[in-house]
Amino acid sequence: MMEMLSIPFVQKALIGGVVLSILLSLLSLFIVVKNWSFISVGISHATFGGLAIGLYLGINPTFTGFLFATFTGLLIGYISKNSNLKEDISIGILFSFSMAIGIIFIMKTSNYTSDLFTFLFGDILTITSLDIKLLICFTVFVGIYLFLFFNKLMFCCFDEEVAYTTGIKTNFYYYSLIVIIAIATVLSVKLVGVILASAMIILPASFASLFFWHYKKILIFGSLTSVVMIITGIFVSYYLDFPPGAFIVSLYSAVFMLGLFIKKVLLSR
Amino acid sequence: MEILKIENLTVEINGNVILDKINLSINKGEIVAIVGPNGGGKTTLLKSCLGFIKPKKGEIAILSKSPKEAIKTGKIGYLPQKQDLNKENFLSALDVVLFGLINKKLSKKEKKEIALNALKQVGMDRFAYYPFSKLSGGQQQRVSIARVIVQKPEIVFFDEPSTGVDVVAQEGFYEFIKKLRDETGLTIVMVSHDIGVIGSFVDKVVGLNKYLHYLGDIRGFLQRDILEKLYGAEVKLLIHSPECVSCENFHLEFRK
Repeated sequence: MMEMLSIPFVQKALIGGVVLSILLSLLSLFIVVKNWSFISVGISHATFGGLAIGLYLGINPTFTGFLFATFTGLLIGYISKNSNLKEDISIGILFSFSMAIGIIFIMKTSNYTSDLFTFLFGDILTITSLDIKLLICFTVFVGIYLFLFFNKLMFCCFDEEVAYTTGIKTNFYYYSLIVIIAIATVLSVKLVGVILASAMIILPASFASLFFWHYKKILIFGSLTSVVMIITGIFVSYYLDFPPGAFIVSLYSAVFMLGLFIKKVLLSR
Repeated sequence: MEILKIENLTVEINGNVILDKINLSINKGEIVAIVGPNGGGKTTLLKSCLGFIKPKKGEIAILSKSPKEAIKTGKIGYLPQKQDLNKENFLSALDVVLFGLINKKLSKKEKKEIALNALKQVGMDRFAYYPFSKLSGGQQQRVSIARVIVQKPEIVFFDEPSTGVDVVAQEGFYEFIKKLRDETGLTIVMVSHDIGVIGSFVDKVVGLNKYLHYLGDIRGFLQRDILEKLYGAEVKLLIHSPECVSCENFHLEFRK
């Protein structure tokens, strides 16, 4: 154990994983309250198109991934708010489009196989010091943002129309939350990849809500569970040579299903 | 004092004229019911007043301001239909009432005290720390009224306030808002289907079906020709009386 902890890339993976799990747990509450799980799936898949374009053009893929994810998130948000088109239809079309664009550009890039797998499934053991710094800065920013505007965000999630009539700038909170989720998704791609990133943002609040109903407890329990899942996932995958991202999501999903079973079968008796 | 003025209002949605040439004036302290058939434009009128829908023609002035500007003052209260609320919201009844104080510069302790008092006023103080989503329709409605009370608005818009609430609880609700108006001078505008219940509680009735068919007191409204013109068919009304003896217990429950 101590030997493993002395390895620099493991240390980075643990620090990055813990910070990311806290970040995603904070946002998870809003995803669940707003019923935005599918939006987060749309945004995470849209990131793939951006990453692939960045790689093809030789630009920092995180930057292009961020642009693509933000643009797609805002577009989905705008369509949901202003169009009669059903939300799931617009998300379905947009994320398929982005994935398709991503595949085209990845195929046109040399050494595409390893890049494709890194984007799709992530590799937390390759996380760099710069990634960790970015992650910490962004998590601190989100923490401050939530500290200042938490009640207003919750009011908007509870009933946007009523919040608007009390003078709250609901559009600002709506779109700013989408942009924050998009950035968090791009940052989590390194950890668990495009395909699994949405799971890491949906699971914390969903799991906590099996046992608690109040948002404060959901925030605390969801964050703690995520931290435990990520640390356990990194340790186990290191020793058993599993892909960390896939193992963390599998473990978390299995724990969620176990929780669901305990709640529905054992606690309801 | 005129608190809401609508002049020559025309609203179109997807090319269909929903409201046409509406003129309406509501004074401070009045309780006004907007009634009419389904699809007659009642909720559209309310949402236009709140600035959710932009009119094609005409002017709306609330507190002598456009809806957009009036909303910024925080003096507009709104209670939507209960089914519009997000079901899984992870909030307690107290949290929901505290939303009404979100723009007030008060300490946490003061806000909590005000919110608990408002819950007591609507007979819901014992549910303050209970999940809002687990409350019944009538209880959620009372908590939402507490949210409106703490906001201290000058005018409140209710959209079908008694949807999903039985007729006796509806009457308790109307009694409560009438008392609130008498105590605070609040102006209340509500969209309602309950013509049979609202009669004893409103000052003015707005009969709406694309056009303004009637504006006046309830007695004038309950005339056969007016009702037939508004609903386009013969209307039979079942009037629920506040004197109803068998309903007394329900009245008491709401007043608790």
